[in-house]
Amino acid sequence: MTFNPLEQRGIPLDRQLRNWRELDVRPIDPDRCDPYTRCRVITMNGIEVEAILFSHQLARNTVDPEVKRQLARTRYIEAQQQKVVNWLLPGVSSVLETTIAYEQVAVDLTAWVARMEPDPYLKQAYEFGVLEDFDHLYRYANLYEMIEHRKAESIVDSLTEVMPGRPTKFHHRDPYDNVRDPYDKAATSPLSKLHALTVMSAEQQTMNFYMNTGPTYMEPIARQLYQEIGLIEEEHVTHYESLVDPGETWWEQLVNHEYNECYLYYSFMEQESDPQVKAVWELHLNMELEHLHTACDLMRRYDGREPQEVLAPELPNVLTFEPNKQYLRHLLDTQMDLTTLGAGYVREAHERFEKMQERIHGGEEPPSERVMAEHDRMFGREYRVESEGEHPDPRMREK
Amino acid sequence: MSELRTPQAGDDGAKDTDVVALLMRQHGDIRNLFDEVEAATGDERRDAFRRLVRLLAVHETAEEEVVHPFVRHGVPGGEDVVRDRLAEERAAKEALAALDEMDTDDPEFLPRLARLRTDVQEHARAEERYEFTHIRRSTDVTNLAAMAKAVKAAEAMAPTHPHPGVESGAKNVALGPVAALMDRTKDLVRRTMGKDG
Repeated sequence: MTFNPLEQRGIPLDRQLRNWRELDVRPIDPDRCDPYTRCRVITMNGIEVEAILFSHQLARNTVDPEVKRQLARTRYIEAQQQKVVNWLLPGVSSVLETTIAYEQVAVDLTAWVARMEPDPYLKQAYEFGVLEDFDHLYRYANLYEMIEHRKAESIVDSLTEVMPGRPTKFHHRDPYDNVRDPYDKAATSPLSKLHALTVMSAEQQTMNFYMNTGPTYMEPIARQLYQEIGLIEEEHVTHYESLVDPGETWWEQLVNHEYNECYLYYSFMEQESDPQVKAVWELHLNMELEHLHTACDLMRRYDGREPQEVLAPELPNVLTFEPNKQYLRHLLDTQMDLTTLGAGYVREAHERFEKMQERIHGGEEPPSERVMAEHDRMFGREYRVESEGEHPDPRMREK
Repeated sequence: MSELRTPQAGDDGAKDTDVVALLMRQHGDIRNLFDEVEAATGDERRDAFRRLVRLLAVHETAEEEVVHPFVRHGVPGGEDVVRDRLAEERAAKEALAALDEMDTDDPEFLPRLARLRTDVQEHARAEERYEFTHIRRSTDVTNLAAMAKAVKAAEAMAPTHPHPGVESGAKNVALGPVAALMDRTKDLVRRTMGKDG
């Protein structure tokens, strides 16, 4: 790979504004699209949302009005990018269908990142988290069949299996134990920084999505399940954001954000099967290159440092959406019983964990268990897709 | 696709005390049948398409008889909401009737089925978002259950999938053209609603 975003020029910022006609994109076909096209759309939406929110926070911490204006100009373009990307999703999809696609993103994005992550502590953080998203997919898939009589495989296709992960009821940990140790910005590989930012952004978007769409459901079990999993997304954002070194300056973080957007648009452009969507990735890459140069200028001016000092010399291997079935099965076989203790992981339920469990469940079954019981009453079975054989953990096989 | 079969609305273990939940599951059943028709060939496709036509006809007729009148009279602005839905339904019915006269092996069949599928899906979501929400908001539990019963009665009259033990019976019922099926569904729903509503 020889693509170096620092050496490429894109579309000048003052030519990036799009009119209504250009913003009016044709959505993907929910029944016929490549599921990983939808995954890339959902991922890039999360990335753009993070870009916008980060830029707002930076602006609120910026005194110089000229810099505020500079940030506002780029941010407006990023807001347009977010509109184009997220509006690729079709209006005919239900919230639950989009939710299942979000969980497919969480599973296959996090699993891929875990596989590629060079730092063992960070790798463990992704491996830990992915088994929880994997279980959310399974719970929502059962809810989907109850409410809409449709199977999740009509959304995730045969790319991602649907079966129990670490049971959702055990995801409710004392918030104290959700904070991890950060990587060291000076020592860590540039790829690790991109991974952390990507997974954090995806989980943050999932958190936002559930907190806003959960109450649009009328069915009590659906409302309750979104509340429960929505709270776990809060834990996941805490988990992943704490991996990022807080010693990075605002400008360094801005450069990392813009660089990551270049990396992801480039990655997705390389693998996109839908020509219309591919054209969006290519256009946005060419916009991001200029956003990156603007950010680099700000870093030079305010930090007095060269961005090359913190960035990779060239783009890492492209981030890829592909099946991770065997890898996930290996994790299901070895890491089901883990929970967190402080910034580390243990296999036994400890006092703080037990106490949290007692308090939040209040002596009752949580929604994630009740959804399975209700599904069983309706169908006399569970909904699973175990395309590669029975569940690796004998305790998790369907009775 | 896995071997798991999702039973159709009415045949699952749901209590069916809520017409909206029932119709939403039926929307999924319709999508499942579109999948089946698209995946099958020859006689299997013909058979799956017959079931799709019946389910669509019964479902739409039941909605016209049960849901739309309720929204038209019981919901502020309901007249306009229903007018939009009826226009969509009319278009879908015409497309369905045209497809119904076609051989399922005709090379034009699948492209036209795909267009119908898109229209039906958009119509179903519009109902769920703009019409069903009003029903749940403004009617009482008894009424939801009575409406559910009427929809189920309609579905039972024209079996849209083989019921164990009555396959041959179902096959022998002369279903006739779509229009006749809709008429019979209408009568039945009116009788049920008159009795229980």
